Amino acid sequence: MLEGFFEQMGQWPISQAIGASIWVYPTIQAIHLVFLALFAGGMMITDLRLLGFGMRSKTTAEVARDARPWMVTGFLGLVATGVPQLMQNASREYFSEFFWYKMYLIAFGLIFLLTVRRKMIQAPETSAASKVVALISMAVWTGVTINARLIGLFT
Amino acid sequence: MQPVHDLFFWVSELPTSIAIRESLLFSPYLTVAHVVSMCLFAGLIVMMDLRLLGIGNMSTPFSELQKRLFPWQMLGMAMSSVTGVTLAFSDPMRFYVNIFFWTKMLVMVLAGINAMAFHFITYNSVVTWDTRATTPFGAKLSGALGMVLWAIVIVSGRLIPYNWFQNN
Repeated sequence: MLEGFFEQMGQWPISQAIGASIWVYPTIQAIHLVFLALFAGGMMITDLRLLGFGMRSKTTAEVARDARPWMVTGFLGLVATGVPQLMQNASREYFSEFFWYKMYLIAFGLIFLLTVRRKMIQAPETSAASKVVALISMAVWTGVTINARLIGLFT
Repeated sequence: MQPVHDLFFWVSELPTSIAIRESLLFSPYLTVAHVVSMCLFAGLIVMMDLRLLGIGNMSTPFSELQKRLFPWQMLGMAMSSVTGVTLAFSDPMRFYVNIFFWTKMLVMVLAGINAMAFHFITYNSVVTWDTRATTPFGAKLSGALGMVLWAIVIVSGRLIPYNWFQNN
């Protein structure tokens, strides 16, 4: 069922249009990386604070509140530039193990972000637990980045 | 640019360069490590630039943000440099003819000059605006230039594989 959907998606006129131009797809890929930097920065400034390496004159909650709009902007930009890449490459990505690893890790990362990490950000002090949460967060989003890059290199 | 050409050509003939070029997995893994270290470097640079622009991370005094993020930015820079130089080392003649590679190198120099100018001029007055709700013009200029220049570096870096204008 999903395979059929991916095949169809690749046939949509807009998907074909993205593939027909030599520069549209590469430009989208490049802008995807700029949003990645914004997202990663917003994520890491909070994760570093959870690790106890960040700006210690402010609580983690304050650091996180400042970073959140930029992290969200980065994420929305990543989705907006990621979906067209998927549309143009739909069938190929369906058969890429790295694409699916990336999707599972994003799903896990978002759930983790909205539950455990969100709760940990409210803690007044850094602790062993907050450090573990920061390390998991960094590892998951690094895993997303690694798998994302491998889609293009090995598919 | 004959001397540059000769240097790149000389590197391309070195046994180590040939070995990396001919290995199937080394370059892809280097590319992946380059992207991950770019996130660390550019991600924290953009956080600092937003603070300089006066639109992000405003709860924290600038000097504290700068001091806390600097070691991580430098770690990201070191990792990006090692992976990037090794990538260039592994296939210099491919980069030599690539317009995006040279754009990236040039804009990195400009971004470096911007950072130096900020450090030696605007940062001297940091005590007067460290905790203020707005930042002075010089800080905003450095922040805006930093974001634009590093974005160009990222974009031109990603476009290197697409040699639309390649001229052998």
